[in-house]
Amino acid sequence: MTHARVRPRRVSPAEVRERLGTPDALVEAKILDRIDEHFRRFIAHSPFLTLATADAAGRADCSPRGDYPGFVKVLDEHTLAMPDRPGNKLADSFRNLAENDGVGMCFLIPGLRETLRVNGSAYATDEPDVLARMHTEGREPELALVIEVAEAYFHCGRALVRSRLWDPASQALADEMPSVGEMTIAQHNLTIDPEVIDAGLEEAYHTLY
Amino acid sequence: MQHTVIDRTEHAAEGVVSLLLRGTTGPLAPWEPGAHVDLSLPNWLTRSYSLCGDPADEEHYRVAVRHDPLSRGGSEYIHHYLRPGRALQVSLPRNHFPLLPAPRYLFLAGGIGITPLLPMLSAAVAADIPAGLVYVGRSASAMPFAEELRSRHGGRVRLVATREDGRPDLTALASDLAPGTLVYCCGPAPMIAAAQAAFPAGQLHTERFRPAARVFPENTPFDAVCARSGRTVPVPADQSLLDALNRAGLPVPGGCREGVCGSCELTVLSGGPEHRDDIGAPKGRMYACVSRALTPELVIDL
Repeated sequence: MTHARVRPRRVSPAEVRERLGTPDALVEAKILDRIDEHFRRFIAHSPFLTLATADAAGRADCSPRGDYPGFVKVLDEHTLAMPDRPGNKLADSFRNLAENDGVGMCFLIPGLRETLRVNGSAYATDEPDVLARMHTEGREPELALVIEVAEAYFHCGRALVRSRLWDPASQALADEMPSVGEMTIAQHNLTIDPEVIDAGLEEAYHTLY
Repeated sequence: MQHTVIDRTEHAAEGVVSLLLRGTTGPLAPWEPGAHVDLSLPNWLTRSYSLCGDPADEEHYRVAVRHDPLSRGGSEYIHHYLRPGRALQVSLPRNHFPLLPAPRYLFLAGGIGITPLLPMLSAAVAADIPAGLVYVGRSASAMPFAEELRSRHGGRVRLVATREDGRPDLTALASDLAPGTLVYCCGPAPMIAAAQAAFPAGQLHTERFRPAARVFPENTPFDAVCARSGRTVPVPADQSLLDALNRAGLPVPGGCREGVCGSCELTVLSGGPEHRDDIGAPKGRMYACVSRALTPELVIDL
């Protein structure tokens, strides 16, 4: 299955701004430069976020992070810390942060349409008092990410409303997908049983900490 | 699980809040001094707290929680977000720190370690058994229930504020101890260590809030033979018995997962458990979250 590459028309940034209009004063005013008690409460109840980073050339990356609600610790009004739990060991975020410390985070709370956006800069730490707060199931993470907050704001819930993200009926979408094992085998023309990949993944999902 | 609602929260001392929980489906399960319960928090964490109210009160449980500056999300959540009116699931009480019969008692409390000792002292006084409490804290304002203790038990209570008085001399206390006295100590690790150095092991009972720092032999794999279900569950070296059983579809509740709370207690029918908990597993019992096996096989009642 090969197609000619599709290149939709590019709209210039100036034209984008012109078409969208200027943001409401209220929308701009809702941006705070710190984590106040309301943002803190949001973070304390959020078990999931996406973390965006980019390298020095601006090549971007976005990865999911999740744990029990409140896994991101509010160290003070301007500082967050997030455990680096076992993952794929690609360390894309850390590699990017070494070149470019900018981060964007989007926190979600299951059932809530609004999200919390936090932007700032980040670095890796192994500070014992920070890691101690992330001790889970007898283990501490090797590293944590410290995020220095530049801006934080609630993002309205239209995207979640349109996506019906929290509607239990939406989970039927997962049934339309083949397993990761089946897709991987097809993508890379492998001759192994897809069950091997799926079983390996299931196994990995049992080592969460 | 028992259903409760938070009736009242009170500032018990600097950084300590006490929660009065009321049962919402009839009387709460009975308990004896030294018992603790697990609170199931809205952020999915489970935390154990000693009951520090009146065992005769079937309607309420009282617990007191110190805000740990290095909180992993339990005490911090309780302090910031639990307010009167909130429903809370509470486990049945468990007691790894029971008050055994004795002609006299000496209670040693360090800070929030006062909680299990509070009902013990009341029980001893009510039974007319001579009892004294040495209650150690940084300063009077950081010691929960200090006023309550002083007004109820007067001369039986000695408050030691280390900021002014330094640490009490436990060796001197030990040398004055009348024969047969049982000593109950709950407090931070250095205090427990000092008590263990000062008092004979047979007279001392301790309870910790966090596991003692210890080094264990390297993990080895073993098989858990589940006698009731007729299943054999292999436990690899990098997995806890608790996780292996849960993964095999044999539900065993987990709480602290560090050998302190006792919610994952199992009955061992044969084989040699290697106990790594801080509870002091009774004979024939083990705690699946941390303990492993000395023998290639453990037969458990599951």
